[in-house]
Amino acid sequence: MYFLGVDIGSSSSKAAIIDENKNILVRVARNIGTGTNGPTLVINQALEEVGITRDQINFTVATGYGRVTFTQADKQITEISCHGKGVAHLVPGAHTIIDIGGQDAKVIRLNDKGNVDNFLMNEKCAAGTGRFLEVMARILNCGLEDLSGLAKESTEEIEISNTCTVFAESEVISQLAQGTAKADVAQGANNSITSRVAGLARRIGITPVVVMTGGVAKNDAVVRCMEKQIGYDITVAPDPQTVGALGAALFALETFNKK
Amino acid sequence: MADIKSLIAEFEKVALNPAKSAAELKKETGKKLIGMFPYHLPEEIVYAAGMLPVGMWGGQTEIKLSNKYLQSFCCSMIKANFEMGMNKTYQKVLDGVVMAAYCDTLKCICEDWKVAVTDMPLIAMYYPQNRKIAAAIDYMGAEFKKAQEQLEAIAGKKVTEADLEAAWEVYEAYRAESRKFVKLVAKMPKTLNATVRHLVIKAAWFMDKKVYTEKLAALNAAIEAAPAEEFNGKKVLVEGIMVEPIALLDAFVENDVCIIGDDLSHQSRMFRIEGRKEGTVYEKMAYRIADAYADPLLLDEKKEHGKELIDMVKEYGADGVVVCAMKFCDPEEYDYPIFKEELEAANIPVLYMEIEQQMESVGQYKTRIQAFAETLA
Amino acid sequence: MEQKEKLSSKQMLNDLMADHYQSALDAKADGKLVAWATSIAPQELLTTMGINVVYPENQAAAIGARKEAQKFIDHSEGRGYSVDLCSYARVNFGYQQLKKSESQDIPMPDFIYSCSNICHTVLKWYENLAKELNIPLIIFDLPFNHTYDVQDHAAKYMKGQIEEAIKRLETISTKHYGKKVEFDHDKFKAVMEQSNATSQMWKDATMVAKAKPSPLNGFDLFNYMAGIVTNRGTKAGYEVFKAWKEELEAKAAAGLGPWKPGEEEKFRVMWDGIACWPYLGSTYKGLKNNGINMVTSTYPDSWTILYDNGDIEGMAKAYSGIYCNSNLQNGVDRITRIVNEYSLDGIVFHSNRSCKLLDFRQFEQQRQIEEKTGVATVLFDGDQTDPRAFSTEQYNTRIQAFLETLENKKEERRKG
Repeated sequence: MYFLGVDIGSSSSKAAIIDENKNILVRVARNIGTGTNGPTLVINQALEEVGITRDQINFTVATGYGRVTFTQADKQITEISCHGKGVAHLVPGAHTIIDIGGQDAKVIRLNDKGNVDNFLMNEKCAAGTGRFLEVMARILNCGLEDLSGLAKESTEEIEISNTCTVFAESEVISQLAQGTAKADVAQGANNSITSRVAGLARRIGITPVVVMTGGVAKNDAVVRCMEKQIGYDITVAPDPQTVGALGAALFALETFNKK
Repeated sequence: MADIKSLIAEFEKVALNPAKSAAELKKETGKKLIGMFPYHLPEEIVYAAGMLPVGMWGGQTEIKLSNKYLQSFCCSMIKANFEMGMNKTYQKVLDGVVMAAYCDTLKCICEDWKVAVTDMPLIAMYYPQNRKIAAAIDYMGAEFKKAQEQLEAIAGKKVTEADLEAAWEVYEAYRAESRKFVKLVAKMPKTLNATVRHLVIKAAWFMDKKVYTEKLAALNAAIEAAPAEEFNGKKVLVEGIMVEPIALLDAFVENDVCIIGDDLSHQSRMFRIEGRKEGTVYEKMAYRIADAYADPLLLDEKKEHGKELIDMVKEYGADGVVVCAMKFCDPEEYDYPIFKEELEAANIPVLYMEIEQQMESVGQYKTRIQAFAETLA
Repeated sequence: MEQKEKLSSKQMLNDLMADHYQSALDAKADGKLVAWATSIAPQELLTTMGINVVYPENQAAAIGARKEAQKFIDHSEGRGYSVDLCSYARVNFGYQQLKKSESQDIPMPDFIYSCSNICHTVLKWYENLAKELNIPLIIFDLPFNHTYDVQDHAAKYMKGQIEEAIKRLETISTKHYGKKVEFDHDKFKAVMEQSNATSQMWKDATMVAKAKPSPLNGFDLFNYMAGIVTNRGTKAGYEVFKAWKEELEAKAAAGLGPWKPGEEEKFRVMWDGIACWPYLGSTYKGLKNNGINMVTSTYPDSWTILYDNGDIEGMAKAYSGIYCNSNLQNGVDRITRIVNEYSLDGIVFHSNRSCKLLDFRQFEQQRQIEEKTGVATVLFDGDQTDPRAFSTEQYNTRIQAFLETLENKKEERRKG
C-alpha cells in the first residue's frame, strides 16, 4: 500500500510517498509553489520514481500554504502538525522544531509522545523569514544557496541591527557602499534572521533535542548561528525541505488505518 | 428553530452593515446618535438625554488621511476610528462623539481629533485608574456631570434624575440579558457559531438598547426552549480587545472551533459587571468601574487577568484560549506574558495571534487556528 | 571638616549618582525599605518617610547608554513581551529577572510607586512588577489634561490619592519594621521646601543656556537629568545644580560657547522627546559636526515641580501639569515659548518607537510650531533604548537636510 503526502508552500512544492510499514519510498522537492502546476509536477515525479500510478495511492494528505485550494487530497492538515509528525519520525527524542520557510517562521514544541504541544509563528513582519535572506541575497547579487558559503568566509562581525527588513535593506546597502565585505554582510544577515527566530523559540521554551527543518536549514551558516543564539546543538532533519510532506504521508497512513 | 434563525438574521443584518444600520436607526427613531469610542463610557447619560449611543470600534476602511497625524505603529482599531472621523464617514450619522483616555494612544487621538475633526462636538473624558478609592468615585461623578452638561447641549434637553434612573434600568437589563446569552452559546454551539455569536453581540452597538434587549430576550427564550445541539468540535475562549474582521471569525467556524466564551473589551468586559443596587445613578455607574475585574484597560493591583481566564476555562469547559492581540495595544501586550505563564502552569493550551483590523488576508490565521485545533485533538 | 578642593559640578554629579545607587543598595542590605518609582512621581512622600527609592527609567537609560540593553530586551521578548512595548519596560523586566547589570545595579524593591503623569504605560509596567514580585503597588493616577489647565476635580482626586498613599506608606513601613511608623507632617513641609528649592535651582541652571552662544551643550543636559530624577528632594541635588549654574554663568560671562574655543555654535536647536541612549555619541556628533547645538529640550520644565509649601492640591496640580500630561495646545504653547526664550533656529523631533504618548501628537505639534515660529524642524525615527530601532545613516541624512534648511532660513533672514 502507498501513502502520499504533499506539502504545497508559497514558493516550493514537496511530495513524499511511504508504504504501510512507514518505509520512505521517495521524497522530492521543486521550487514552484502554490497556484502553479508545481504540486502536480512533484506528485508525478514521486510516482514515477516509485514506479506506481496515481490510483495505487491509498490515501493522500495535503499540507502547507496551498493545502486548502488543492483538490486532489483526501484530507488536509496544517504544516505545523505535519512538521511535528515528520520530525518525530526522523529524529527520535526531538522536542523543539525550528522551521524557517519563505513566508513564515515557526517554532514547534513536541511532547514526549512526539505530538505537537504548542507552536508559535512569526507575525506579519518578514524580518525573521526566508524572505529576508532572499532580499539579502539579491542585494549581495548572489544566489540564495550561495549565502552559506559566502558567510563562512566572513572575518569581521558586523551587525544588521534593524528589526525591519526595509530598514535593514538600506542599512546593508550603506554598509556595502562603505566597503564592508560581502561575506561579512552575509554573516550579518544570518545573525539577524536567527536572532529574530531565536526570540520566538525562547518565547515557547527550548527543550532539546532541537531540530531544524525547511529549506533554510540547508544553509549551514544559519544553523551554526542559530545554535549560538539559542545555546543548544541543532540537528538538521535529513532532507529538511521535505519533512512536512513526509509528515503528511505519515498522517495519510494513520488516517487510513483508523478507517 | 425557525424562530431562532429569524431572530439571528435580524441581528446579523444590523451588525454586518454598521453605517447603514446607524442611518436607519436615526431615521426610524428620529433620535440623535452619539458615537462612543472604545471602552467604558457613560452610555446611560446619553440614553437619558433622549439620544442613542452607537459603538465606534474601528472597521474596514482604507487608512489614508490619518497618516498625517499618526505613525505606522498605532493601534489599527483606533486608527480606523480616526480615519472615519477625518473622511467624514461618522458625520453622516453622528451628532457627537465621546472618548476617554484609557491608554496613551487615546490621549493623543483625542487631542488630534480636536484639530482634525472640527465639525462634530467632542466630549473628552477621563476615567480614573486608582478607581476603588472614594476620591475616584467623586472624580467620576464630576466627570459624568461635565459630560452630561455637554450632552444636554447637544440634545437640547435637561436630564433629570428620573431620566437617569430609567436609563440605568434599561442598561442593567441589557447587560443581564447579554450575560445570559453568552452562557447559552454552550447549548447550541453550531447555530451560535463564532461568527453568529459575534454578530448577535455586536448588533447591540447599533440598536436602541431597549429594543435590542427585548429581541435578545426572545432569542434567549427560544434557545432555552430548543433541544441542545451535539457538537464534536473544539471549544475555546477568546481574549483581546475584539475579534474582527469577519473572515477571521469564519476561520474558527471552518475548523469546527466554537467560541464558547469571551474575555473581550468589545463584548463581555462591557457587560459582565452587574451594577450595585444602592446610591445615585452616578455612583452606581462609578461603582461598575470600581468593581470591574481583570480588565486590561483598568488598573488591577492584584492583576487577576490570568486567574480570571483560568476560572473561565473551567466554568465554560473550554479546551484552550485563543489570544487575539490587537497589534500595538499596550494594555493587552503588557498583560499577555503574565497570564500566558499562568495559563501554561495550569496546563491550558494557548494560541497567540496578533491581529489588525485591516488585514488583507487571513490565510496564515486559518492555518494557526486549524493547527491549534489539531493540537487539541 | 577639612577644606577640600572645589569639585566641578560634573564630579559632584558623578558622586551624587554613585551615592544614590550605593545608599539604596546599602539600605537594602541593611533590611531597610526600598521602592521603585517612576521618574516624576511625588518623591516628597518617600523622602519624608526616609524610604530609599531608585528609578528604573534612570537605570534603563544608563543600561542603554552603555550599550547593554539588548540582553535584557531579549530576555523580556523571550517571555512574550512585544517588541512594540516601551523599551525601558523591556529592559526593566529583563533586569528584574536577571538581577545583574554591568552598567548599574539596583536593589530589588519592597514596593512599587508609580505615577501616570508621564504615561499610562508605567501603570501597566509597574502593575506587572508588583504582580511578579508579589509586592504592594502604590499608584498616583493623574488624569490626562484634555483641558488647557489642570481641573479642580482632578486635583481633588489626586489629593485623595496622596492621603491614601500616606496611609499605605505607614502601613507598609509599620509592617516591615515591626513597629509603628508614622508620617511626619513637619518633616513633610521641610521636604517640600527642599524639593521646590532643588527644582528651582535645576530650572535656573538650565536657563543659563539662553545666553548666546549657549555655554551649555544640551547633551550634558541628559547627564544632569539623572540628578534631578533621583535627587529632586535633596540638598545634595541642590548643591550640584548650584555649582553647575555657577559654572555655566561664568562661561556665559566670558562669552564661551558649548564646545572648545574655535568650535562655533552656528545654530541653536531644541530636542523634543527622550534621548536615543544607545546612540548618544552618534546623535550628538551628527549635530555638533554641523555646528548645531542642542541648547535645551522639554526636560528642564518637566522636573520643575513648583508649588506653595503645604498646598497638597497645588502640589498635585504641579505634578499633573507637566508637558507629557498636557494637551496639544498647551504643549505647542510651551515649545513656542522655549523657541522664543532660547532664540532657537530649529527643533529636532525624536519619533521614539517606545513612546506612543509623545509620538502620536508629534506630527501635529511639529506643524503647528513650524507655523507659529517659522523655525526649521526635522523628525527622525529612533528609540530610547532599543538599539535595533535606529539607523545612524538615516539620522545623518536627515540632519544634513535639516542643516540645509537651517542655512536657507538664516540666509533668508539675513537678506530680510
